[in-house]
Amino acid sequence: MAISVKVIRRPEAARSSYLRAALKGMSLTFRHMVNPRKVTRSYPEEPTELHPRWRGTHRMEVHADGRPKCVACGLCPTVCPANCIRLVGGEDDQGNRYPIVYEIDEFRCIFCGMCQEVCPVEAIHVGQHFENAEYTRERFVYDLDRLMEQEHPVTALWDPSDPASE
Amino acid sequence: MSTVTLTIDGQRVTVPEGTSLLHAAEEIGVEVPHYCYHAALSAPAQCRLCLVDVEGAPKPMPSCVTQAQDGQVVRTDEGLAREMRKGVLEFYLINHPLDCPICDQSGECKLQDYVHSEGRAHGRGVEPKRVFGRDDFGGDVLFYGDRCVMCTRCVRFMEEMAQDPVLTVVERGDRAVIDTFFEQGLKDSSWSGNIVDICPVGALVSKDFLHKARAWDLDHTPSVCPNCSQGCNVDIHTRDNVVHRLKPRENPEVNGHWMCDYGRGHYEWMNRSDRIEEPFVRGDGGWSAPGWHGALASLRERLQDCRGPVHAVASAHASNEDLAALRELVERIGGGDIVYRSARAPDEVPLPGFPMLARRRDLAPNTRGAELLGMRRVGGDDASGGLDEVAASTGTLIVLGDELADQPEDFGSRAELFAYLGAHPAPAARSAHFVLPVTTFAEQEGTFTNVQTRVQRFEPALRAPGSAQPAWQVLGALTASLAGER
Repeated sequence: MAISVKVIRRPEAARSSYLRAALKGMSLTFRHMVNPRKVTRSYPEEPTELHPRWRGTHRMEVHADGRPKCVACGLCPTVCPANCIRLVGGEDDQGNRYPIVYEIDEFRCIFCGMCQEVCPVEAIHVGQHFENAEYTRERFVYDLDRLMEQEHPVTALWDPSDPASE
Repeated sequence: MSTVTLTIDGQRVTVPEGTSLLHAAEEIGVEVPHYCYHAALSAPAQCRLCLVDVEGAPKPMPSCVTQAQDGQVVRTDEGLAREMRKGVLEFYLINHPLDCPICDQSGECKLQDYVHSEGRAHGRGVEPKRVFGRDDFGGDVLFYGDRCVMCTRCVRFMEEMAQDPVLTVVERGDRAVIDTFFEQGLKDSSWSGNIVDICPVGALVSKDFLHKARAWDLDHTPSVCPNCSQGCNVDIHTRDNVVHRLKPRENPEVNGHWMCDYGRGHYEWMNRSDRIEEPFVRGDGGWSAPGWHGALASLRERLQDCRGPVHAVASAHASNEDLAALRELVERIGGGDIVYRSARAPDEVPLPGFPMLARRRDLAPNTRGAELLGMRRVGGDDASGGLDEVAASTGTLIVLGDELADQPEDFGSRAELFAYLGAHPAPAARSAHFVLPVTTFAEQEGTFTNVQTRVQRFEPALRAPGSAQPAWQVLGALTASLAGER
């Protein structure tokens, strides 16, 4: 079989130059430099804004005297679909029911927020927080002290002025 | 016996004459809410919750004391009856603290159930609630006056059943509250735990169970109380493989609705964590753990070689099946005396209102079963002593279940073969050639024979630790292999 040769002509200089495309791209870039509607954020220098119903890691509210608000009623471990809450109730020296052990495994948690919803004394909350890097897995089991230490804002699962969304 | 036929909620039901409307409704599966009425106690008809609408009657009738009449038409679940109940329930909640989250009764509370099913969704009260706080009634009982619905079941139990009227209602109207006389309290009562059971709300709670577990977390296993030979039918309430409490299970032939405080309080031993978890065999080189197969094979060999007399020590805490299997094995290897030791209280503690029931002298559940299987009780009333002959045995020695707590460490050291089957490690079993782990009654199925010679079945409430097996399985396997079967 004879070898056939197909000759391809070089494109014209104006078309083969990348200058046109480069300029086109750069014009977009420069337009964005001056565009007031920029979307890029300098995270983590600039913290992200979270939606008010963002459900992040938990936080336990405390009374003014430092006691946890939790009364160990057992509703959150009951309602928790991921079974990540361990609770052992007991009585403190003032005769109040309180949690001797309260642990949340943040790895098992699916952040549904049902614990906050079910809590009759508004003690446990999911929070506006998601930066949870740790060196060990064990550190993700938050015990009572750790939950009480958390300072991030809590999640508003409902509008306080319209709790039943009516 | 003459019967009457009446209509309840549109269904015709025929009941014996004299039956209350509440029971007649039960016949057709209608539960009329009630507090003060309890099947075993008198009916004062004071809670006003069981009011039903009877056609022709001038006003709603309390169904717990109204006798069924021929041709009566009763409505329990609509119109007037429902309105009545809704109103009565609202009255109950006027002073109720609504502290369900911290109340131990929550989940098994009749007030909670009724209000949820037919009460008002929101309270209308604006006045401050009356506050009593809590009171220690002595014994195992705590009283939360705010939660009380004044059904007086507890007062009537102490009066009619325990016949030791130490509770009463003091004050009147909305100040009325249950109280004890001065500081006497319930501390001398042996039956006070029952008032916690019959309290329909969380007013009377058990100190032992206080804040320990939520009612809905507990698994209930039908069982038999292992603490005396009365054999009260109980439910073992467990959570996460831990026994949290014993509750009586109704059996009109044995214990009615009741059980004693002694039986109720002795359950912690079922949660003991010091357990034998694997079969151990002592050879020349010390102890080894060859697993069940190896241990039973070598025990079988040793049993075949033994020619000396056979002694066995059983326990009246073992089930009929365990004891029968032991008897079978002993017969198979030549027969011998089986003895058991069991604790005995100085006297019985009867429940006067229910003569069939008493905390019996025998503090083991199966002394009657052991007796019937031809076993001989030895030793004193504190379950000690009496084993001198056995300890000196030079033949085969089998111990089942007895912890030998009073025996010296060289117990059975002269025996040619000493096999110890137990749940807990026993220091006196140090000379044993075989230490085999068996389950407690709470971890196995079986029967006890009670003082009335009634054989009662119990079911496993806990998972056995390690590779512990029911004793009847171990002994049965041995007997079978000795008999040449597989």
